[in-house]
Amino acid sequence: MPASISGDGARVIARQSLLFIFRERTVALLAGLFVILVLISAYLGWSATSTVNAIYADAVVYLKGVGQPVPPNPVNDISPLSLMRNMSIYVSLIGALSAIVIGYQLIAADRKSGVVPLLGSRPFERATYAHGKIRALVMAVAGLMLVAAVIAVATFIILPTNPLGAVGWISLFTFFGLAFVYMLMFGLLAMATAAWARSESVGLLLPVTVWLTVTFILPSLTSNIHPTAAINPISALAPPPDTGFFHWTGWLFGPISIAESFKYLSAGLLDYLPATAINHSMVPPLPDLLLALTGSAVLAVRALMTMDMTRGDYNA
Amino acid sequence: MLSTTTPVGAIARKDVTDVLRDRFIIIVMAFLAVAAMTSLVTGAIALATDVATYNDAKATLLALGKSLDSIAAPEFYPLKLLRGAIEQIEIIGAVLGILAGFRAAVSERGRQTLALIMTRPIRQWQFLAGKFVAGAVVLSVGLLAVFGLAAILLDFVSGVGLGASDLLRMAIVWVAASLYVIAFFAFTFVATLWMRRPANALLVSFAVWLLLVLIAPQIGDTLDPDNQVAGGVFKQLHVPKAEQQRIASGYATFETIRNGIEVSSITKHFERFSFAVLGIKDTYTGKPLGPILVEKRGDFLWIFFTTLGLTGVMFTRRLKSNRLTKE
Repeated sequence: MPASISGDGARVIARQSLLFIFRERTVALLAGLFVILVLISAYLGWSATSTVNAIYADAVVYLKGVGQPVPPNPVNDISPLSLMRNMSIYVSLIGALSAIVIGYQLIAADRKSGVVPLLGSRPFERATYAHGKIRALVMAVAGLMLVAAVIAVATFIILPTNPLGAVGWISLFTFFGLAFVYMLMFGLLAMATAAWARSESVGLLLPVTVWLTVTFILPSLTSNIHPTAAINPISALAPPPDTGFFHWTGWLFGPISIAESFKYLSAGLLDYLPATAINHSMVPPLPDLLLALTGSAVLAVRALMTMDMTRGDYNA
Repeated sequence: MLSTTTPVGAIARKDVTDVLRDRFIIIVMAFLAVAAMTSLVTGAIALATDVATYNDAKATLLALGKSLDSIAAPEFYPLKLLRGAIEQIEIIGAVLGILAGFRAAVSERGRQTLALIMTRPIRQWQFLAGKFVAGAVVLSVGLLAVFGLAAILLDFVSGVGLGASDLLRMAIVWVAASLYVIAFFAFTFVATLWMRRPANALLVSFAVWLLLVLIAPQIGDTLDPDNQVAGGVFKQLHVPKAEQQRIASGYATFETIRNGIEVSSITKHFERFSFAVLGIKDTYTGKPLGPILVEKRGDFLWIFFTTLGLTGVMFTRRLKSNRLTKE
């Protein structure tokens, strides 16, 4: 099949798929929730910093009154970029889950509506279908990231007390690129399971289980031993106890503890990486994330290329 | 024990058998057990590291002929090692409840058997009660296994036998954990029976889980000014305790909102209750159980009435005839 026709076919499939999934209420619900949380993240960063500032002003009045030395304002030690530190948590929680739902729905919608056998009878290659679906996923996740980036940029422009230099802007946009990679990885995984699974629930629950494992279980072996530390951007990066056991588990499980790799890189980019944070993994965080993305992409392409086009809906 | 000759008993027994045969929920329970035991073991290893560090420092000071007053001996309370396990129940236990609720409802809709059951001489409440009893029994027994395993492992890793008081505290937390997980079961079961598409009910349940289990506590945690500065803002400013309280009183409204967001989450109530009863939170460590239960009864009642309310909703809404099949 000529490349141009294949490309047109992929574009049509991507466009149709995007129009369909954003009409799905659950996708809209999770995507909307993600956007709201991005807004909340910006507010939380501003509110927390303002409160510390106000407490400092009160403390200065007291310290001067009793003739004690006034320590420097702790807010001055915090980088303006770290205002967005909650964003890394929301990307790893709701962002990854939204990507899973989008990736899953892009394939499951076709299977559940029974159009897969019909698509199999049309004159286009399986590669065109895979190309179109992956393009739709990339566009959907990129769209969410674009909204998040616009909100972040607006926050920094509206709050003149937190100006960013050129390096700060580059770091911020690199963070959104990283978040895109992280979410895309889960979306591709969900696409693969939605295409492979015989049961609808297994197709959705398998990537959710992987997400739960990398977010809440593996970090207790490679970084902070408390599972709920995953919801705090600073606590999540607390080093594990300094023993041979944790050095060994960090080295061994580090490559699959991708949520930790993402949080470590995010903290570096958003300038809140604690001085005590250590990554013991045998694979450094960035190559680790890129390897995970490649693995998910290979799985998704393989699943879509080998998908049984004679089979329609899932089993019960 | 419910008689299997009654409709409620027969449905409950059939559902329990389904769960055992299907193995899906058993696998998720095993996943929760592995996560909880991993947290328990890592906590024990971390504590062993503290003890080793203390012993090294103690040996160094003794060799130098100095007093041991400058270093604090690590305190050992075995139940404190359950912190990670409780946090895993907060997160993955709630997911277990969601999946069990989803499977309980979707198994009837997916196999198109719900419409068939409704043609039998059985009342709607009997069908729902049978399903609910089965779910509650399966989840409670599963959690009992997790707590039992934790007790055995605690005994093994700590080298200190658990006393009757420790086991009683664990039993009380098991009851709270069961109610907590059943609340998620009831919500998802109701949503899956009533929503047009069962898969959408699962996603809505996950969205609620995200909000209640992760987002609300996260927002409360972030808004705490003491969490914004390493070591705490007041500590870094070297302000005495009395002055700290005076300054903090100026932010009473802010603190009320922050606490309000936190306590809107059933998870936070479960955490506060469990951490107090097990003595995980330092202020409750080594304290007698009676006063803790009196102080924390509000948290327990919150969990209890949430579960009761959701169960009530399940029985008060009628099954819609157009929701009896898969889609």
